[in-house]
Amino acid sequence: MLLVALSAKSQTTVTGLVTDGREPLAGANVFIIGTIDGCLTDSLGRFSFETSKQGELTLRVTFIGFDDYTQPLSILSPLTSHPSPLTIRMHERATAIDEVVVTASTYSFGKSDNFKTMDALDVVMSGNSCGDIVAALQTLPGTQKVGENGKLYVRGGESDECQTFVNGMHVLVPYSTNVENNAVRGRFSPFLFKGINFSLGGYGGEYGQALSSVLPMETTDVATGDKLGVSASFVDWNVGGTKAFTKSSLSFNADYTSMGLYNAFFPDRFDWTRPYRKLSGEAQYKADLSSATVLKTYVGYDLTSVGQHVDDRRLSLTEHNIYANATLKTNIGKGYTLFTGIANSTVLNDIDDALTLGDHYHNSRNEVHLKAELRKVFSSVLKLSAGVEDYIRHSTKRYDTSSYSLDYHLLSAHADAQLRLVPKLFLNLSARGEYASYHNDWLLMPRATLSYVPNKRFQLSAMIGRYSQTANDDYIAMSGRQLSQSTADHAILSMQYSDHNTLLRIEPYYKKYHHLPLLGQNGLYTADGYGKSRGVDVFIENHGIVKNLITTFSYSFNDSERFYLDYAEPQTPDFASRHNLRLSLKYAFGKTIIGLSESYASPRHYSVGDTPYYNSVDANVTYLLSPKVIIYTSLNNILGRTNIFRYEADGTAVTATRDRFFYIGIFVSLKNNKAYDISNF
Amino acid sequence: MTFLIFKLRVLAIALALMATISVNAQESVPMQALIGQSLRSLQQPTPENFLNCIAQLKRIDAMFPDSIQPKYQSALQCLNFSVMNPHAGQTENLLAEAEQTIAQMEKMKNADQSDICTLRGFLYMVRIVQDPAQNGQRYYLTVMQNYEKALRLNPNNALAQQLQQKFLEGMKQQTN
Repeated sequence: MLLVALSAKSQTTVTGLVTDGREPLAGANVFIIGTIDGCLTDSLGRFSFETSKQGELTLRVTFIGFDDYTQPLSILSPLTSHPSPLTIRMHERATAIDEVVVTASTYSFGKSDNFKTMDALDVVMSGNSCGDIVAALQTLPGTQKVGENGKLYVRGGESDECQTFVNGMHVLVPYSTNVENNAVRGRFSPFLFKGINFSLGGYGGEYGQALSSVLPMETTDVATGDKLGVSASFVDWNVGGTKAFTKSSLSFNADYTSMGLYNAFFPDRFDWTRPYRKLSGEAQYKADLSSATVLKTYVGYDLTSVGQHVDDRRLSLTEHNIYANATLKTNIGKGYTLFTGIANSTVLNDIDDALTLGDHYHNSRNEVHLKAELRKVFSSVLKLSAGVEDYIRHSTKRYDTSSYSLDYHLLSAHADAQLRLVPKLFLNLSARGEYASYHNDWLLMPRATLSYVPNKRFQLSAMIGRYSQTANDDYIAMSGRQLSQSTADHAILSMQYSDHNTLLRIEPYYKKYHHLPLLGQNGLYTADGYGKSRGVDVFIENHGIVKNLITTFSYSFNDSERFYLDYAEPQTPDFASRHNLRLSLKYAFGKTIIGLSESYASPRHYSVGDTPYYNSVDANVTYLLSPKVIIYTSLNNILGRTNIFRYEADGTAVTATRDRFFYIGIFVSLKNNKAYDISNF
Repeated sequence: MTFLIFKLRVLAIALALMATISVNAQESVPMQALIGQSLRSLQQPTPENFLNCIAQLKRIDAMFPDSIQPKYQSALQCLNFSVMNPHAGQTENLLAEAEQTIAQMEKMKNADQSDICTLRGFLYMVRIVQDPAQNGQRYYLTVMQNYEKALRLNPNNALAQQLQQKFLEGMKQQTN
């Protein structure tokens, strides 16, 4: 109700009521445009203010989350005007296309108000991760426990179906290396990144060459201050620092890992001729070239060596892994953002006594990844992006009769359109075309996601799409270069509910694989393999059971079957376990955080029989000793259960190198006063 | 890790007083007068006065949509209210307003990047005050980096200096 009355001083009093159509809105800002005459609505949505203005005026009402409301207001003369009374109804503002964040099938880590905003320290302190991003991600539903190599297996897919991207650029080998049946770690420090988005399927057109999942990670921005830090433990020693300039920063990091000391104190089941050792060096240069242009560069080098007695052999492994990338993101005007990037991965492996006494295995792999993408938000209902990229690959293998040299490239183009169909209903349409030069074949892969986002608490999404990936180079070489790309069709339904204390996400999915590599009777691989994987993932995170306690529960059911590689018939792949469960607790008090987690995986199927179930209870404690010093300690598999990960063909059980692993590390900031800034980047 | 943040009431009052004298001289005189008039109500920094002041600053912003100053003051007072009343019914809306306003400022060509960094740091600092146990660890570095960047861009940014100092004091209380 809008009433206009007269005051004794020729002031007009404007009064009325503001509602959202059902309830009164308290705290709405009601005023006359061009003046500061106005007021806030009271708890009953009522307002009343005076104005001395006359003439054709405009009344405006604003309230966060609602469209601004305006209406003409005619006050010709305070003595004569008698405007009609009005009720003001505000309409909820529809989420703009660049504001909506569809969370379906993706877990995001970084600085935001959303749940699961794990940052670098969360990764370090997560259960038994010991600072490994890959191990930390294995706390999420959809991942499976494959202890003998520690890699990411997602929703019934092989580990190499999950691809890693740093600042949008592909990483050919994101893991460190080790001898067979030893878990590897992700090669990147969690402290490099400000954001990690782990997509378990249904991703857009930007990402290719990944059948199951992608792990895009965004490095931190230009550093704002100088840093210098060191860390030490039984197994690794690290030093690093950053020099910050006005608009740029230069960082370095050096790390040495050796199991020698640990093995001496806590011998394991293996007979090492040379303990696992890794020497790593990394450098980054980042610059804000202008307010609209950001340059990020990264280069990292890992040298790994390890020797082991296997039967009568003295296996000796050496790997050089070099990765470098440079990206430039710039706003080129009129709302367009241009992204360009180049990345190079080179991995050299040499193994003596690899399979037989006196043999020598050599493998070198190189990939250059070129990428350009243009993005623009056209309006509140339409966002478009389109790009091209090229993967140029070369690999050489020398081992007895199976030597080969392989050169090919994968050219692709993609386009993504994000649309708001009607308020609260969003559609993401994308298409990706890929050309594989070694086989001269083209693939067109449409993808779509329909999301209903009625409010910040609830999301419902349906995703469907086709994804492709080349088989690994060994299989391509052993097919006479006739192996077409494998494809996987994803269908995912996602429901998420969150409130202040709890996040619940349920995601059933179905994947159908085509053209998987299959070993024929003539010893050549063909693209006649196939498979399927279906299941449901459940994730619950709660912050409200007890103050300062974070509880997470994740459960995955997976039912998968494949006919590929040397399988004689379709069967459940041996890496897949039907049930994976993880429960973790994190409690903070004073300067201490205690973490406790329970992991369970159901038996895995082998021709010689099923493995026993996997179970591990892990604990960790983080203590802030002083503003510059953090101590972290963890004990994996407290109960000491001997978990059998898999069986060899002859029935030999493969277990972890040791049942328990104890870690204690100290992280010291030398240069600054930041308690949590133990990162050297 | 528990991150018991300090009492910021004194700080907020200081900021409110400082805000009354920090109107940019290059902005138009009527606008300065209006902003000054609005901010003077914060000499008695009651929640009601804060809310009315913020509403007035929004109206001034509507009068001078191309000016930075009303936006800056509006975001700053939203944060001041929030830091003093971290769990009030209006706080979430005001934090959303502040975030929206900072995003608008970032798109303006004549925006002072040092001021924007200061407001961003303050925004995350309020988040820590709201929930120290959960947000302390999560946002600590973001707060520090924003203040550092603000001071790198403008070493004389008094607000950034004060907020950074206060934040470091809080850190010491917690970690020593």
